[in-house]
Amino acid sequence: MSTLLSDGVIHVSDKCKACDHCTSICPTHAIKGRLGEKHHIEVRKCINCGQCLINCPFGAIDDVSMVDERIIKALKDPSKFVVVQEAPAVRVALGEEFGQAPGTNVKHKMYAALRRLGFDKVYDTEFTADLTITEEGTELICRVFNDLGVPGYEAFGPLPQFTSCCPAWVKYAEDKYPQVLPHISTAKSPQQMFGAVSKTYLAEKLGIDPASIYSVSVMPCTAKKYECDRPEFIASGFKDVDAVMTTRELAQMIKAAGIDFMSLEDEQADRFIGASTGAATIFGATGGVMEAALRTAYEVLSGETLDKVDFKAVRGFKPVREATVEIPVKALGGKVLPVNICIVTGTKYVDDVIEDVLAGRSQYHFIEVMNCPGGCVNGGGQPIRRDTY
Amino acid sequence: MSIFTEKVGMTRRQFLKGTGMLAVVAIVSGVFAKIGFDAFAASDEYIAQRAAGLYTLDEQMTIRKSHENPEIIQIYEEFLSPGEQKYLSEKAHHLLHTKYGKDIPSFIDELKQHQDVA
Repeated sequence: MSTLLSDGVIHVSDKCKACDHCTSICPTHAIKGRLGEKHHIEVRKCINCGQCLINCPFGAIDDVSMVDERIIKALKDPSKFVVVQEAPAVRVALGEEFGQAPGTNVKHKMYAALRRLGFDKVYDTEFTADLTITEEGTELICRVFNDLGVPGYEAFGPLPQFTSCCPAWVKYAEDKYPQVLPHISTAKSPQQMFGAVSKTYLAEKLGIDPASIYSVSVMPCTAKKYECDRPEFIASGFKDVDAVMTTRELAQMIKAAGIDFMSLEDEQADRFIGASTGAATIFGATGGVMEAALRTAYEVLSGETLDKVDFKAVRGFKPVREATVEIPVKALGGKVLPVNICIVTGTKYVDDVIEDVLAGRSQYHFIEVMNCPGGCVNGGGQPIRRDTY
Repeated sequence: MSIFTEKVGMTRRQFLKGTGMLAVVAIVSGVFAKIGFDAFAASDEYIAQRAAGLYTLDEQMTIRKSHENPEIIQIYEEFLSPGEQKYLSEKAHHLLHTKYGKDIPSFIDELKQHQDVA
C-alpha cells in the first residue's frame, strides 16, 4: 500500500512534448523539466490534484489506477462484500462520457450501472457529506465559543477554522504551512468518514463481518487515491477505504462491460448510508461546503428554522470570496454574531490567506479551501474536455 | 561602421514584401490567440455548467439541510450517540476525526491501542 504514497499518484508519460503548459497550471511548482525536455513530477511537492493531467494538450499525464489490481479483483472475489460511494461532482459529469451536456444529473443511472458492475450495495458519499457538516459545523461552533471565552470549550482549536475535505489542500498545508494545521478541522473528509462507517455501523446494521467488506469510492479527484492510502485511516479496525476510482475510470468500466448507460432504468441508493440532502449535493462546487455548513450552523446556533436556505453570497467562481453572515446566538441570549467567512478555490491563491492567519491579522471565522478552480466539479478525475483545445 | 550605413533605403518591392510578411504573421498569430482564448472561455463554461447542475439538483431535493437527513438522525440515534443527537460524541470523535502532519505517527499508535482494547 505504501508504494502509492511514495511514488505519487500522477506521472508524466513518454507522450510529453515538453510544451510547459502544465508547469504554468501546477499550483505547487512540482513539475520539473526545461522547455523541450520531457517533464517529471517531484513527488515530494506534488499534491496529487491532477490539474496538470486534465489540462495537458497531449494527454501525456496519467494517474495511478486501482481498477484492475484492487476493484475488479474484489468484485470477482465471492468472499468480499463490495460497497461503493460516489461523490456529488461525479453525477453531473459522468453523463458527458455518454454524450450528455455538462451538468446533466445522471445519479439514478449511475446507481443502476454500479449494480450492473457487480457492487453488492450502492450508497452515496452525500450521506457522509451530511455527516461532515454535523461534525465539522459543530466543531466550528465550539471553536467560536472557545474564542468568545465561553467556559467548557477550552479543548477546541483556534479560529479561523479551515475545511478539511480536500486532500490536495490538506497535503499542501502539511508540506508548506505546518503551523496552520491546528486551524484545520479535525473532521475527516466525506470519503474517509464513509470508509469508517461502512466497516462499523453498516456491518452492524447488515449483520455482516466487517472484515469481508470492501469499500470502494468513485471520485472526481486523483488526490482521493492518495488520501485512501494514508496510513492513519484505520479507525474502523481495517483500512477504511480500500480503493478509489475516478469519474473517468467508472465511465471506462461501464463501457468495457457493454452497459448501455443512457437506457438504464433509474434506481435509488441503498438504505442506512445512502440518503442525500441538497446541502450534501452542493459540496461538489466551490463554496458548497460553506453554504451547507451555514444552513446547519445557523439553525443550531439560533434555534430558528431557516426558511431561505440559499446563501448566494458564497457562490461564484472568483478564486477568493468573502462574506459576513449575521447569526443570532440563542446560547448568548440572542446576541447577533457576525460570522466572517472566506472561500478559496485554487491553491495558488491560498498563501495570502494563510499568511494573514499566521500573523494574527485574519478576521475570518471559517475558511473553505478547494484546490481545483471551481471546486470538485473541475477535479483531476473528471472527464477530460479535449474539445476545448 | 559602413556595414550599417551602406543600405539604408529599400525598394518598393522590398517594402511590400516586408509588410506583407508582417501582415501574415499578425493574422496567423491572431487566429492562434483566438483559438487559445476560445479554449479558455470554453473551459470555464463546462465547469460552470457542472456546478449549475449541482445547484439545480439541490433545489429539487425535498431535504436541503444536512442535520435533517433521516439517515443522519438515525446513525446518531442508534450508533454514534445512542439515544440522542449528540454531535462530536466520543464514538463520532473516534471514527470521524483525524490528525495531521507530525501528529500522525502517535495518532496511529493510539488507534492501534484502541483496537487492542476493543
